[in-house]
Amino acid sequence: MNLPVEAVLRPRDLGEALSMLAEDPSAVPVAGGTDLVVQLRARRRHAPVLVDIGALGLDRIAVEGNALVIGAAATMDSIARSAAVREHAPALATAAGQVGAWPIQCRATLGGNLANASPAADTAPPLLTAGATVTAAFPSGQRRIPVLDLFEGPGTTRLAPGELITSVSIPLDPVPAGARRVDRFVKLGPRREQIISVVSLAVRAALLADGTLADVRIAVGAAAPTPVRAPAAESVLEGRPPGGAARREAARALQEDIAPIDDIRAPARYRRLAAAVLLDRLLGEISHG
Amino acid sequence: MAEPLGGRHPRPDAVMKVAGSARYVGDLALPGMLHAAIVAAPGAPARVVSLDLEPARAVPGVEAVLAAGDVPGANLVGTIFPDQPLLVEDRVRMVGDRLALVAARTPEAAWTAAAAVEPELEPLPGVHDPVEALEPGAPVVHESGNLVRTFRVRRNAGGDGAASAPVVVEAEYRIGGQEHAYLEPQGCLAIPESRSRITIVASCQCPFYVQHAVARVLGLPLASVRVRQAHTGGGFGGKEDYPSEVAACAAVLAFATGRPVRLIYSREYDLQATTKRHAMVVRHRWGADTDGRLLFAEVESFLDAGAYVGLSTVVAERANVSAIGPYHVPSVKVDTHVVHTNNLFGGAYRGFGAPQVTWAHEATMDRLARAVGVDPVEIRRRNLLTGESCTTCTGQELPSPVLAGACLDRATELAAAWTGSATVAPSPHLRRGTGVALVLYGCNLHHGGQFLDRSSAVVILQPDASAIVRVGLTEMGQGNLASAQTVAAQALGLDPSRVEVWEPDTATVADSGPTVASRGAHSTGLAILDAVRRLRRRLDPVAAGLLGCAPGEVELADGVARVAGDPSRAVPLERVLGEMTARRIETIATGWWRSRPRWFDEATGLGSPYETYAFACHVAQVAVDPELGLVRVEHVAAAHDVGRILHRDAIEGQIQGGIVQAMGWGLLERLELDRGRLLNPSFTDYLIPTASDTPEISMALLEDAPGAGPFGAKGIGEPSFIPTAAAIRNAVCDALGIEIDRLPFTPPVIVDALGTAHPFADLLD
Repeated sequence: MNLPVEAVLRPRDLGEALSMLAEDPSAVPVAGGTDLVVQLRARRRHAPVLVDIGALGLDRIAVEGNALVIGAAATMDSIARSAAVREHAPALATAAGQVGAWPIQCRATLGGNLANASPAADTAPPLLTAGATVTAAFPSGQRRIPVLDLFEGPGTTRLAPGELITSVSIPLDPVPAGARRVDRFVKLGPRREQIISVVSLAVRAALLADGTLADVRIAVGAAAPTPVRAPAAESVLEGRPPGGAARREAARALQEDIAPIDDIRAPARYRRLAAAVLLDRLLGEISHG
Repeated sequence: MAEPLGGRHPRPDAVMKVAGSARYVGDLALPGMLHAAIVAAPGAPARVVSLDLEPARAVPGVEAVLAAGDVPGANLVGTIFPDQPLLVEDRVRMVGDRLALVAARTPEAAWTAAAAVEPELEPLPGVHDPVEALEPGAPVVHESGNLVRTFRVRRNAGGDGAASAPVVVEAEYRIGGQEHAYLEPQGCLAIPESRSRITIVASCQCPFYVQHAVARVLGLPLASVRVRQAHTGGGFGGKEDYPSEVAACAAVLAFATGRPVRLIYSREYDLQATTKRHAMVVRHRWGADTDGRLLFAEVESFLDAGAYVGLSTVVAERANVSAIGPYHVPSVKVDTHVVHTNNLFGGAYRGFGAPQVTWAHEATMDRLARAVGVDPVEIRRRNLLTGESCTTCTGQELPSPVLAGACLDRATELAAAWTGSATVAPSPHLRRGTGVALVLYGCNLHHGGQFLDRSSAVVILQPDASAIVRVGLTEMGQGNLASAQTVAAQALGLDPSRVEVWEPDTATVADSGPTVASRGAHSTGLAILDAVRRLRRRLDPVAAGLLGCAPGEVELADGVARVAGDPSRAVPLERVLGEMTARRIETIATGWWRSRPRWFDEATGLGSPYETYAFACHVAQVAVDPELGLVRVEHVAAAHDVGRILHRDAIEGQIQGGIVQAMGWGLLERLELDRGRLLNPSFTDYLIPTASDTPEISMALLEDAPGAGPFGAKGIGEPSFIPTAAAIRNAVCDALGIEIDRLPFTPPVIVDALGTAHPFADLLD
């Protein structure tokens, strides 16, 4: 079936793309289109003009200075397979490798996954725990927005009209001497593959030589109107070993951090229990090395 | 040359389908062809206040917009009962009911025009539960009332056992429906020729149903409606009666415009509007002695038929007589109610009512086992039909050998021999369980549908000793072409590659009834054998002349005609056909098959609803993660009483497919409704298993009890599906030590069933 799209513009470079987006408030950027095309086809979203940003060279993945920088048009497949991502942000690599099916991963992009602002976006929790920022460009410049501040609600971001995510930057924060970086992601759904997360969870922390956790960051997907950090659970775990009593206390505290609803994919009660179980198990795995 | 029967020669349709050269309806286009779309009711029930079609007519490219008054013949679809209009006149009864039809030059214009119509509907009170629908004061779907019909079995009902049984279990099972999820959505192409005749090319299981439906809405003689089955991308019952509606839409538009019209459903509309496996409520009260020997069984079932009868009464007939399974029960009382609601349209789906009642009776058998304190396998062994006690639910005596016990033995042996999963790592979070389920499957159509149990074939031998075979039953992925080819090749002594079986065309064979009830190979094969028998009256004398023997001594095998008992005296069949051609001897023959008459009393439900039966036993081994409610089916052992294997790949494919499809029904597939509207009309949210969810499967195919089909074959399509979900249910309950009585077992259902026993439940207090 045809899409209700009047024009697809193909800018030659980023500058032209930004002008096109700035000039026409109805223009929407498209890269992989794996979310957008479905929404257009179902008339859930109106976008008479599309600006193709898939061929602007925005797909680089590289360490630049003390950050891992991933272009907005980098595909899930390239992120999942990138040695740099696997080294510095293994949870993100795991998440990217579990988005939809492999054909989807070969088209879907990181910028699109964030701009689509699904509460269940698989790359959001590992980016939240990594303290990532997005670079948003506009004709007269660019600004950096922490991923934490990017999401406003289901399907909405705090990007201004005409702003385009061009890259995502993950700081390379080294762990203290003798410590081990822990960076994990897990998603849950009723079948083994090709699922939209019913709950997803990312944990990033330093496991110190004395067996305690430091700089604990936890994020949860599909359990609130946006992907969220879990400060209550984080503070329970800070400075404590991941095993033992802290596990259950953290799972309990996590309930304060999330606000799931009943929807077609699962009831809120299930999401709460599942989030607790996922956190408990991740902590168990961390404590067992 | 290996004998074709039981072989693994390539399926004739495999390469064309895998390589993409098979042309489905969506690949067919004709010059001037128009595209159809449907103006569908967004809510139900409702009274139609007004229907302004001008907005649709105003869309550029639109060639025709039709309402109920524009149907040239009867404004009626519905295979059995005349209760369903092609186009609604005044009353909407289900979401998706058709209000008008559009034909336009592009599919986009057609669907845009259809969406431009905003019918004015006055909502009426609806009813959305089949039990509540029978309560006094419930809103009625049709003026005739919500109870369509009740089927019964009464055999020594209320006898001594019911009063005195020391062990009685009761349960109410709530069993969800299922979407067929065929790869190819509904579609057809209608090609009119003046206004006197029409050809329909349809994705369908039952071209003769389509022929009748199109003749009725166009007011044409049957002879003027030709239906060709297109390559059909899956059916599973979903293309049994429903394609008649699709074809009727396209045909009416084709006659109105005089142009070919193609109608292809969007997946969303297909999911909402087409038939589904019936959601059912099944109530049990069963009693046994202290050894677990059954004394009585009482079953009351409610089928949610939706707003129209469709095939629901026929589905209920099978559910009714399948209600107690393959067990010897002295006293039986079964009531099976067909009930109207404003929910989805209940219809045919692989198993035809039997999977639901099987899920229930196998759950009850496990309950009884626990109540009595014996092993679930042992309680079945004590109650299974055997050579000595072989009276079915309806009082039918089965001839020996009876393979129920053999199926149970073979399946449990295969399960015990399974050495563990290579894909599921050991984990402290997993609990393992094993479940067993059996089915007694009545082969072919129920007594009530026996008037349709017939089949036609045409065999045309070619001068080069190849053969054209025309059949009346369809290929929809199940392997009917392969089995027909195998039967013809075996009977003619030809290599299967020399036999071309063509998909049905109503202009080439007589009405052969529907391709349903696991009757494809059976009915097709016996009609082919009849045609070959008639051909050989002409072929054998010619071959005998060449061989210098009597006609009665001729046998056909390995591509030659030869003297029986003296295979060195042989002549190539090509030479025999050359001789027949030279002498202008007729090399075409028709074949016919019909099932034997039998006795069945509808009032008591006693008698012989089916001619023969097939048994099957599945054992499921599962790993359950109770904290997350996840079930991994690791292994299914399947033992089937198949009569005779015709094509080994086809039969194994049926069993594998049946198991995976049933696993989806048992664990994943939910039709979420809001007042009859489907909330998850996409494969993003209606989840079916993927390849990575499939279990390991072990099979035993038992050929010790010949059936009535060609070479003794029995149907496999439905028995391969029926026991799996029940076995999985029992395995999960075994792993968890609780009873769960609603299907599907989605993760939230399992977690809910654990209640406060869930190890994290206290966190939510």
